[in-house]
Amino acid sequence: MLYQILEILEQAEQPLSLAELSQRLQVEPSALEGMIAFWVRKGRLRDTSALSCGGTGAGCACNAHPQGCPFSSAGPRVIMLID
Amino acid sequence: MTTVAAPVSPIPFRYPSPIELELEQLAILFAQTPALAVYPARWLAIQALEGDETMLAEIESRGGSAVTAALNASLERLRASYGDELDIVIVDHRYRFVHDVATRAMIRPATPPATLSDRIDRIVTHRWFGIPIFLAVMWVVFKLTTDVAAPLVDWLDSVLSGPISRWVVALLGMVGAGGGWFESLLIDGVIAGVGGVLAFVPVLLSLYFALALLEDSGYMARAAFVMDRVMRLFGLHGKSFLPMIVGFGCSVPAIYATRTLDSRRDRILTGLLVPFMSCSARLPVYVLMAMIFFPAQAGQVIFGLYLTGIVVAVGVGALLRRTLFLRQPATPFVLELPPYRLPTLRNILRQMWERTSAFVRKAGTIILATSIVVWLLLATPVRGDGQFADTPVEQSAFAALAHAATPVFAPLGFGNWESSGALVTGLIAKEVVVGTLTQVYVGNDETATAGDPVSLSADVIEIVSGLGAAISDVLRTLPGIVGINLNATPAEPVNTGLATAIQASLATSSNGHGALAALAFLVFVLLYTPCVATLAASRHEFGLRWMLVSLLGQFAIAWLAALIVFQGGLMLGV
Repeated sequence: MLYQILEILEQAEQPLSLAELSQRLQVEPSALEGMIAFWVRKGRLRDTSALSCGGTGAGCACNAHPQGCPFSSAGPRVIMLID
Repeated sequence: MTTVAAPVSPIPFRYPSPIELELEQLAILFAQTPALAVYPARWLAIQALEGDETMLAEIESRGGSAVTAALNASLERLRASYGDELDIVIVDHRYRFVHDVATRAMIRPATPPATLSDRIDRIVTHRWFGIPIFLAVMWVVFKLTTDVAAPLVDWLDSVLSGPISRWVVALLGMVGAGGGWFESLLIDGVIAGVGGVLAFVPVLLSLYFALALLEDSGYMARAAFVMDRVMRLFGLHGKSFLPMIVGFGCSVPAIYATRTLDSRRDRILTGLLVPFMSCSARLPVYVLMAMIFFPAQAGQVIFGLYLTGIVVAVGVGALLRRTLFLRQPATPFVLELPPYRLPTLRNILRQMWERTSAFVRKAGTIILATSIVVWLLLATPVRGDGQFADTPVEQSAFAALAHAATPVFAPLGFGNWESSGALVTGLIAKEVVVGTLTQVYVGNDETATAGDPVSLSADVIEIVSGLGAAISDVLRTLPGIVGINLNATPAEPVNTGLATAIQASLATSSNGHGALAALAFLVFVLLYTPCVATLAASRHEFGLRWMLVSLLGQFAIAWLAALIVFQGGLMLGV
């Protein structure tokens, strides 16, 4: 089961949606989340649900918001293989 | 729909025999160790074999050397069979079991019923319709940010250059500080520079409203999905477009968002492309110039600029991929396409507030500082017989310095010192281009009305009635986004005096082809060297060498593109 996630990702030729991946594996999306979290912990997948800015300096708009960059949320969540 | 089937017989769960054997032995050992009795013995054994560091430390500290030795022996035996993937085998076995149980207990339809989101996605992410829909969405966004916000920009600008300036002058007069360099600093430096930029807050509010709407509704993820295909067509990784989407807001977080890419080469390549995506700081420049030179087609011009940014980014990326960054196999990814939902007003307002307040704070720091420096240079005479803060701008230190840069821009049609100076200060932050243009031309404007005596009540009436008229214009402009014209009054170009001065200046520098020079200027602003904050982020992420590539490379590309626009336009007789 777990390895199938990596296999599907390795063989995919275009981006998949979470729903599509869940359908291919025939698992509930909530179970898939657990599997993805496992691989993220193991360092085989990267989950970019939270992009950090880390910008500094007065010229950076992020600097005005110490709690986090207000522009970062523009990016969607992506899960990808780590080489 | 998933349904629960008839009663099922119990399904025993067991790990593979070698693991089960070790688990049983360890569980017995743990159960016989009083210090470890606080934990369920089998559970503790599973945690130990899975490599739970906290539990391993507990076993070592509480269980003593004999237990630790037995555990290590078990791990050694299992590693002989499973290598370093013992924990994966254990977890995988559990998932298989759960899946097996779920499969036996539930009946799944072969094809899950399509939800509303699925049905929308069939159109929005369609192979052929996806891109036109994405372009249409962008079109609406830029109509919203220009046509709809224009009356409010016009109003805010008139308030800043009229009543606010008059009140400052009057207040300074009351405390005996009127008429001197301090008044010039506040009026020609702070209000013209910072106020000139702040006048565009309605434009940014509109953009952030549209972005929040797209993000909150779930469309932004679909845009990335659709653009992936375009990127792949040109040999680029689709993932590169994700930081680029962030770049529509601000290039700095977009540069940091490249961390999500796998290889350093991909990160660098994407980092070089991100600044081509038009950040929101450039929008005030577009709106100012588009409203002056192309008032009837301002939305189209700005839409075209954003599109040009994407096309140049993809083109440069494709070129780099075939030269410096030879193609590597693309690694696919999973993109979360959240269900579509109605955006909440609270979320939209929060995002608009956070992003706009970041812009306003920036106006109060770096833009203010740059405006003061520009004012100092404008106030300092280097020729003629003018005095400090009382000298024609043509004879100022700023003009002298800016003149040095004019030969670079002369072939592009905007080789006048005012534009050249504004582009140089724009390296600090792109909004500063607008601030500097305002400062330079306001300093030239003999008809400035700041000092005209008008009563306070008349000013207040002017502000309130102006706001009412602006809101009325906004409401009449709204249907225009979808092509319905309710005879909305076209927005006046920002500050008639400023518009006339910029038109005259560009007409002179381009031998009467002001509109063409303005278009070349816009293309240059779109593509030229990113601001210092972006360069700093680039240096931080990719090193000095790649930062310099970005700095010089983008300048060269912008120069070439503006040259093609201007000289090409001349050749075509535009």
